[in-house]
Amino acid sequence: MAKESDMSLFNDVLEPFRRVINTNPPKDKLSTASKLNFSDSNQSIKEGITNLFSIGKRKSSLGIGDVTTPEKRMRTESSSNATSAPPSPWETKRLKIDLIAAKAQITKLEARVNHQHTIRKEMQILFEEEKASLVEQHKRDERALSDMEDRLQVIRRREQELRDEFNEAIKEQHEAKANWDREKNELFKQIAELKDKLLESNVSSKDQLSEMKKDMDELLQALEGAQSEVEILKKEVTKQTSRAEQCVSLKNQLEKQTFELQQVTSKLKELEYERDSYKDWQQQAKTAQKRLSNMAELEKEVVRLRATERSLRDAVCNKLLLEEQVHQLNSRLEVLQPVQQELHEAKVKIASLEASLEEWKSSARNHGVESARALSSALESALTSQLAATAGCSQAQSQLAQITEEIATVKYERDKAAAKLNDLLTVRKNQESLIHRLQKRLLLVSRERDSYRQQLDCYEKELSVTLCGESGAGSAALLSARVEQLEKALQGYRDLVATHDHTTHTKLVDTLRAEVTKWREEAESLRRDVQKLRAQRDNLQVHMERLDTAPKTKVLHLTDNPAAVAQKQVQQDLEAAQEEIKRLKAALREGGSRDVSEETQKLRQQLESRDIKLKRMKEEFTSSAQEYRDVCYMLLGYKIDRTGHKNYRLSNMYAESADEYLTFTLCDDGIEMVHTEYSASLGELVELHLHQHRSIPVFLSALTCDLFTRTTMQHEVEDC
Amino acid sequence: MSQQQTKNCITLRGSAQIICEYLKFAINSVLFQRGLYPPETFKAEQQYGITLLLSEDPQIKSFLTNLLTQSEEWIVNKKVSKLSLIILNVANKEVLECWDFNVQYEDGDITLSKEKNETVGSKDLKKIQQEIRDVMLQVAATISYLPFLDCRCSFDVLIHAKTDCDIPEKWAEAEPVAIANAQNVQLKSFTTSLHKMETVVSYKLSD
Repeated sequence: MAKESDMSLFNDVLEPFRRVINTNPPKDKLSTASKLNFSDSNQSIKEGITNLFSIGKRKSSLGIGDVTTPEKRMRTESSSNATSAPPSPWETKRLKIDLIAAKAQITKLEARVNHQHTIRKEMQILFEEEKASLVEQHKRDERALSDMEDRLQVIRRREQELRDEFNEAIKEQHEAKANWDREKNELFKQIAELKDKLLESNVSSKDQLSEMKKDMDELLQALEGAQSEVEILKKEVTKQTSRAEQCVSLKNQLEKQTFELQQVTSKLKELEYERDSYKDWQQQAKTAQKRLSNMAELEKEVVRLRATERSLRDAVCNKLLLEEQVHQLNSRLEVLQPVQQELHEAKVKIASLEASLEEWKSSARNHGVESARALSSALESALTSQLAATAGCSQAQSQLAQITEEIATVKYERDKAAAKLNDLLTVRKNQESLIHRLQKRLLLVSRERDSYRQQLDCYEKELSVTLCGESGAGSAALLSARVEQLEKALQGYRDLVATHDHTTHTKLVDTLRAEVTKWREEAESLRRDVQKLRAQRDNLQVHMERLDTAPKTKVLHLTDNPAAVAQKQVQQDLEAAQEEIKRLKAALREGGSRDVSEETQKLRQQLESRDIKLKRMKEEFTSSAQEYRDVCYMLLGYKIDRTGHKNYRLSNMYAESADEYLTFTLCDDGIEMVHTEYSASLGELVELHLHQHRSIPVFLSALTCDLFTRTTMQHEVEDC
Repeated sequence: MSQQQTKNCITLRGSAQIICEYLKFAINSVLFQRGLYPPETFKAEQQYGITLLLSEDPQIKSFLTNLLTQSEEWIVNKKVSKLSLIILNVANKEVLECWDFNVQYEDGDITLSKEKNETVGSKDLKKIQQEIRDVMLQVAATISYLPFLDCRCSFDVLIHAKTDCDIPEKWAEAEPVAIANAQNVQLKSFTTSLHKMETVVSYKLSD
């Protein structure tokens, strides 16, 4: 399936190629070849693509289909050019464009193919996963089926058992019926016997009855006596009770009287108070009367006062007018004052300006300028001259800056030159010293040369003397001359040695010192090495002493020593253990897997049953908990919710809204109510029951009662 | 005088017997102290004025009798220079401890030997036993500083004999042992005036 789809896909993919290829008539051979290839497989596509590339490369050599080496191709190219017309540039361009388009398409299609592959793989993976899940489902179904079968068997067994039980019960019932019949007969017999007994007892009871009657009569007499006594006593009791009633009435009267007395005393107090107040009123009335007598005078006064008031009002009006006028004037004055000041200032300025003008004029006259124009012209000329001067000044400054720069460069150059000079001086000194040395050398060499010459001369002379064969006094003179010469030479050598000594001595000393220090350091390090080596040697000696005995002796031991025995045993144990491991592994491979699978199945079944049990338990627990909570709510009227660790929220059955709840926290020493908005509104109950009685249950029940009455009242009101 | 002489006279064989007896008790003591064999297989015995433990294990017993009879012979013939009791790990044959019993031969009482025409010593037996007791007490005390043996261990006795010594039946040559990073402890030595016994324990110093 997949292959076919691939093929079709490839065909789709290759359609454009074909089109591209068909547009190029000279590539017929190759295109046919590639066409054939396309219908094969994925690899053939690649080949086709490579062919296409080769076509692109060859461009003009398409007339010849043979693939040869590049050189050959080149050659054939030239030959083909001769036979077939060369492709025009337009064609080549077109080809190029097509090629590029084809390449692009190839890449696209390749990507598509890859994409399709990946999709197919993903699909495969998905199918496999689904398959696996289905297989698992199938397994589960099988398991469930087996479970159901088990259950069916159990139910059948139970049915059988129940049938058996039913049969047994029927049998038992029959037996019981027989028993009961027997018992019934026995009981009938007993009844007859009891009847006989009853008759007998009736007779005897009649006798007893007569005796009892006699006793009764006697007792009745006694009773009558007792009753008379009782009547007497009753009379006394009535008397006593009447007395007691009298006493009670007296007591009540006394109480009433005392109460009346108290009332009377209170009334008396009130009356006294009223009397005092009445006295005050009297005094007040007197004063009022006096005031009334003065009334007429007062009226007159009132008239007079009114007149005065009117006059005063007019005056006030006038005053207001005047005030307004004053205010207006004041404002004007305020406005005018700065103007006046300005006027004054202006006058002063004018005076000063006139004076200055006068001064200016005088000065102008002094300069010989009569009119203002002449002054302005003079001023202009002066300004131009100043401008020229400033220009000159700036020029001069720039020149100055240039000069200073030049100076700086010159100084720098001078410094350089001085440094060079110094260098040169040092060089010269060195040279001089060199020259000096060379001169010395030269001197020495020349002296040496002289001495050698002298020696040579003297040898020549000697030779000549010996050749001549002269002897005696001549030879003595020669010898003395020679001695002198030799002495001279000796002196020269001595000088040479001295000069050498002097120059080399210091150098020698320095080098020697350096060497000495070096040697000393070396000596120090060597000493350290020596110490180390000594320690090592000691160690080694100790070691040697220990090992010393070894070569002299040979070590012997019993062949069957405990160590060997133990090792053998260990080896044997090891082998046995390995064998056992092998055996166990083999056993595991053969039969272990089956056992394991069975065991696991068993365990899984157990696990499932346990899970079911647990689930049931949980359900049971939740339902019972819910039931318990409901019962609590129904019985006590409070719903208790656990809102967190040791926090409990109580909401009443009769609460008006869900916001009305109380919260409690469990403390170390009992339970405590937490302050909430609702609890704040229950100030009285909290005060009474919690603070005074210190009982939460009482508080809660009181709250319930309160809420209940409130809600029922509301209901009643609604009903009405 | 003659009575005294006979009393204090120790022959070469007698001295070797004393040495071997010491070796037997020392080896058993080490085996017990180092816990190589379970303590219930040991039996207490009075020796040198102290209680010492001897193994009841027949294998160990036979091994020790074989070893010591041969050793006595070699000691008499001055063939042995050292006996080493080595304790080794069975799993990898690593030597964990080595008890060296160095035997040195002394001249004894020269004048008495000349009289008797054989080398004899004249040291008091009680004094020798006193010295041996001191050594045994030291051996018992070693447990306080020797490292704990936490693996399956066994022991062997190597005899450093002279090269000209013949190898009897049931005997074989063994490799000399060396303990890496060893710590040596020299115990007290004793002498029978013919043989001087030095006991040295060397053990692997734990890192």
